[in-house]
Amino acid sequence: MLKRIVITVVVLALVGIGGLFALAWRPSLAPIDPPAASAFPQDLVARGKQLAGAGYCATCHTAKGGQVYAGGFGLESGFGTIYSTNITPDPDTGIGRWSEAAFARAMHDGVARDGAHLFPAFPYTHFAKVSDDDVKALYAYFMTRQPVKAVAPPNTLPFPLSIRALQVGWKLLFFDKGVYQAQAGKSEEWNRGAYLAEGLGHCSACHTPRNGLGGERKDALYAGAPIEGWLAPALNASNPAPLPWTQDDLYAYLRSGASVHHGVAAGSMSEVIQGLAKLPDADVRAIAVYFADRNGSAAQAANADQALARAMALAQRDPGVVPEHGAQVYLSACASCHYNGGAAPLPARPELALSSTVNGPDPGSFIHIVLGGIGQNDGMPGAYMPGFGKSLSDEDIAALAAYLRGSRTMQPPWNDVPAAIAGARKQSPAAP
Amino acid sequence: MTTFNLNGRPLTIDAADDTPLLWVIRDLAGMKGTKFGCGIGMCGACTVHLNGRAVRSCITPLAAVADASIITIEGLDPQGQHPLQKAWIETQTPQCGYCQSGQIMQAATLIKDYPNPTDADIDAVMNGNLCRCMAYVRIRKAIKLAAAEMQGAAAHE
Amino acid sequence: MNKFAKYQDQAVPAGLMSRRGFLIGAAGTGFTLAFAGAGLVLADPATAVAQHAFEPTIWYHIDQDGIVTVNIIRAEMGQHVGTALARIVADELEVKWESVRLDYVDTDPKWGLMVTGGSWSVWQSFPYLSQAGAAGRIALIEEGAKLLRVGKDACVARDGMITAGHKSISYGDIVRKGNLTRSYSADQLKAMPLKKPADRRLIGVPTKAIDIPGKTNGTARYGLDAEVAGMVYARPKLPPTRNGCSVTSIDDSAAKGVKGYIKSVALDDPSGTVPGWVVVYADSFTAANHAADKVKVVWATGEAAKVSEKDILDHGAKLIDDPKGGSLVVADEGVEQAFAAAKTTLERSYTTSTVLHFQLEPVNALAFEKDGIWEIHTGNQWQSLILPTLAKALGVGEDKVVLRTYLLGGGFGRRLNGDYSVPAALASKAIGKPVKLVFTRPDDVHFDSPRSASVQRLRMAFGEGGKVLGMEHHATAGWPTQVMIPVFMPKGKNGEPYDPFSISGADHWYTVGAHRVRAISNDLANNTFRPGWLRSVGPGWTNWALESFMDEAAHAAGIDPVAFRLGLLDAQGKNAGTAPNATGGAARMAHVLKRAAEKAGWGGTLPQDTGIGVATTFGQERDMPTWCACVARVKVDRATGVVKLEKLTLVVDAGTLVHPDGALAQTEGAALWGVSMALHEGTEFVNGQVKDSNLNTYTPLRMRDVPELDIEFVQSTEVPVGLGEPGTTVVGPAIGNAIFAAVGARLRHIPIRPADVLLALKGEPAKGV
Ligand code: FES
Ligand code: FES
Repeated sequence: MLKRIVITVVVLALVGIGGLFALAWRPSLAPIDPPAASAFPQDLVARGKQLAGAGYCATCHTAKGGQVYAGGFGLESGFGTIYSTNITPDPDTGIGRWSEAAFARAMHDGVARDGAHLFPAFPYTHFAKVSDDDVKALYAYFMTRQPVKAVAPPNTLPFPLSIRALQVGWKLLFFDKGVYQAQAGKSEEWNRGAYLAEGLGHCSACHTPRNGLGGERKDALYAGAPIEGWLAPALNASNPAPLPWTQDDLYAYLRSGASVHHGVAAGSMSEVIQGLAKLPDADVRAIAVYFADRNGSAAQAANADQALARAMALAQRDPGVVPEHGAQVYLSACASCHYNGGAAPLPARPELALSSTVNGPDPGSFIHIVLGGIGQNDGMPGAYMPGFGKSLSDEDIAALAAYLRGSRTMQPPWNDVPAAIAGARKQSPAAP
Repeated sequence: MTTFNLNGRPLTIDAADDTPLLWVIRDLAGMKGTKFGCGIGMCGACTVHLNGRAVRSCITPLAAVADASIITIEGLDPQGQHPLQKAWIETQTPQCGYCQSGQIMQAATLIKDYPNPTDADIDAVMNGNLCRCMAYVRIRKAIKLAAAEMQGAAAHE
Repeated sequence: MNKFAKYQDQAVPAGLMSRRGFLIGAAGTGFTLAFAGAGLVLADPATAVAQHAFEPTIWYHIDQDGIVTVNIIRAEMGQHVGTALARIVADELEVKWESVRLDYVDTDPKWGLMVTGGSWSVWQSFPYLSQAGAAGRIALIEEGAKLLRVGKDACVARDGMITAGHKSISYGDIVRKGNLTRSYSADQLKAMPLKKPADRRLIGVPTKAIDIPGKTNGTARYGLDAEVAGMVYARPKLPPTRNGCSVTSIDDSAAKGVKGYIKSVALDDPSGTVPGWVVVYADSFTAANHAADKVKVVWATGEAAKVSEKDILDHGAKLIDDPKGGSLVVADEGVEQAFAAAKTTLERSYTTSTVLHFQLEPVNALAFEKDGIWEIHTGNQWQSLILPTLAKALGVGEDKVVLRTYLLGGGFGRRLNGDYSVPAALASKAIGKPVKLVFTRPDDVHFDSPRSASVQRLRMAFGEGGKVLGMEHHATAGWPTQVMIPVFMPKGKNGEPYDPFSISGADHWYTVGAHRVRAISNDLANNTFRPGWLRSVGPGWTNWALESFMDEAAHAAGIDPVAFRLGLLDAQGKNAGTAPNATGGAARMAHVLKRAAEKAGWGGTLPQDTGIGVATTFGQERDMPTWCACVARVKVDRATGVVKLEKLTLVVDAGTLVHPDGALAQTEGAALWGVSMALHEGTEFVNGQVKDSNLNTYTPLRMRDVPELDIEFVQSTEVPVGLGEPGTTVVGPAIGNAIFAAVGARLRHIPIRPADVLLALKGEPAKGV
């Protein structure tokens, strides 16, 4: 999700050629009188609500402890903070005076009502793919919210990064306009999934690595990417999870927040799960169909039983008497919840040998989860893991990471775990 | 203000969000059966159930349990006659007894997951619960006794 | 005379124990049955009871429903002592177990010495409680006979009834209708007919402990659970070292932002228990805890702040090198001659690490003043030790302080030392309100009185055919008794005082010719921290050294380790044993050793790298021996040095078992403590403080490493002796000897770490610390 992405806005300076200013000009669209809520049909509003969930709009447009959609959430760009805007229909501080055309232009072109270019922290590169009908529904939904008076704090981007006109250069390089076009030869369900994932869902915004200019790398689509010290895992065949992410696993994960064969949603992914909760089962299934096809899991399905058996054997390996420090920590602090006996894991006992996090290429997500835990409303609803940030020392966590990585996976050791722990501690010093 | 359900009763607590659930239960809700041993989630003396799963209340902040259902040793069974509690008495497991609320609460999750637990299951799941009196032999015995009783009861239903 | 009786004489007027009589008098709607000084017995018992004039100890009360309430002056800390003590009374009294209640009393001078430790409780109380029960029974029979209008010889007491032929009357009715008022002189009491062991109905019979149900449903109340209206919470800020620190400055500006924070105060402690302490007050424990983390205190530190574990051990070794230091505890003639005449000699050194109590309930106390009396609510093992200190700290008389009794979330000797109640009392005094002082786990650990690290050197002189001619045992460690109650230190043969708890075990029951035992106080340890009594104290290290050494000696002499020991357990001379406590002497040790070896299949073949080792112990004291032998079976991984303890076989002769299942539970726990200290736990001093502070790095034995246990008790009607300690001290050397048997690696330091096993496999000495 974009709000977490470190946007390399610095690139804008490189393309800040004066000529672009001309290209950059967009007209201001006329303000309107805020329409009455009753002007929008109920069913349209209802559909808009679902779609707003699928796009996790609330995640970025709600400040910590603030009113929903009233904006003011700060996105750390690495060069300064970009604050999300108020998208409630307040006439003065929100989008109350935005016409539907202005709203649609923002979604499809990344341009505000007054003609200013939006920073790509707002993922218009994906929202451009959203159909006109769905944009209409979203507009209906937002215009019928309770207006909230709230002005976001000014962005802290330094000059010249703060010059919005420079965005046009970035758009030239990285922005493909146009709504989603169904792919021939793929099922309707597949296309529905692709539409949701590539459009409103903007999945690749987090799961695709970015180039030096901050654009998504087309050559590494869905190869997984670090995001604020976490790791958004690969959604293509390069995902190192011991068991393939099958259509059923993906569906279970996206629907319930957990897959018994892979783990539990955490960090910003829990907000995605909460957003998707608004979509009907068929839409979630469609997204699963789409990604299961992309990652080629069907081809690996034949080996799944063997892979499961191997992982469970790793999980149940005896760490010996007077085990190493990391094993001691695991056995006293983790095993009571994570242990699995028998041939297959229990849903309520996330199996670390199968975990995408423990098997992932960098320790970021693992460290974040150990430090901060997983709230009962994150990930798997009702399930809870306390954070150990105040309990375990950096040495304890590094030893635990090394132990689990070494004993539970076939992956090489993680690099630079102590630095990652120190970084994660700075980011979120304490639980919950 | 955080509202949650404690042993079947709704409870609203006015305390800092980061107040550990353990001290909320003990000092604000006045239920002393849940104990404090290490404060870092590594002894298990403070184990309670959160939405039906054993968790360490000493590292669970109040804010994290909003709307959750919490069960403590006092609420495990209305009469204190849970099969685990009966087995604990039958085998005369407690010594000083200080760890035992936590042991029983953890064991309840164990036998929910593994109705017929093996020694390996008991070793792994109960290892996080330190018993400094080292009543381990009897804890193991009591778990097996309770599991057998519950399976017997289930077979008769 | 045994050591404990000596201590008791210091707490109660001299001679009282042997010259007291027994009173029965109406009290409330029932009768109180109590010991009393000889003078009182002659006076009117009814008045004496009414005025609570008995001393030192009330034993029990019978009411009109026949309910018997037994006062328990011992701390309940897992040994189910109340159950055992009450069963001694109830058996002699012939009352149904269901009619018995326990009352764990608060401190009061009338109880006499209040201490629970050293496995003394049952052993020390058994004769008195038996007499008390018998006196009650006799009185009930006499009164019952009167009410039934029969001769008392026709009456039988059983299950709370007096029966004569077809007539009977309950104890309750006798209390209601009869007059039990009586007094017995000391001589009458002594002549009281006690039941024969064969007639016992409760002692030795399986039962369920009274304290257990409350420990399964959350109703059991521990010190941590104590509350009083209007109390505030406090958390201590501990100085960097136990001794020699003072507060230079306190900066609480950051704490002021913590909601509920009240203030921080440097304690002024006339008793010197907590030098350099600051307490942080708040309206909840969480707030006090947060605030304490934010309060910055600067301390002036002393010499201790530089001391390491290695310094303590090196200092110990130097102390042993000086032949003149220390106290001679055993000083037979002819030691020099024996060594001079020896064909061969063997000398070995052994060390042990610092060990934490880590009782699961961190220490805590609630203190307040009410109507001129200071009330301290906390779990404690030795009330009589801390009362004078509390009085001194508070500047009041001892009669102005009372300790209220709670269950202990583990004792293991930590709560023999009630020091944690002192800062609570001072904190309450300083703020003028009830204060609940709660230690976090790191606070508890850093304020612990750990078991001192130790250094020992043993020598043996062999004559022809491996015959043992003489033996020397030099041991040094921090001495808890010297630091906490030096008046309890007896004098050695050279007139130097010694801490009996720190050397017991070295005065063993093997016949070794000329024997010398020297105890040396490690002053560097004593100055750096406060050494504590920890479950069995001295034998925790002396027996590690002794029994490892016996094994080495057996191998040096080319004799099987069991046979070697049996040869020395000849029960001759000073090892013949004396009645009543040590009847049979070393012969009883030989018996448990043979039986353990037989049970464990001694001499059989074992898989590769698997070995069995043996050790014995007599518990904590020669005056009160519990005969115990242990065989450990281990498998050693030569590649990693990891030792897997597969099985422990223990055979124990503890005399009469009052509460057999409780005895078994104590032995199980004690043996596993021994495993923990041999293989799993241990810390070290760094800069004057222990390195570990919580379970992330301190690693006591947990469920997965529990070996198979096979424990057998010798059936006996001898004097019941203690069971809290023996298992603890016998296991370590049995494991070390088993490792040697398995792979030929000799370990001389506990805890045994895999790295040390690897070194020993290469024939190199363990690094220790
Ligand atoms: S007090 Fe919570 S796990 Fe130890
Ligand atoms: S019974 Fe004492 S800690 Fe377990």
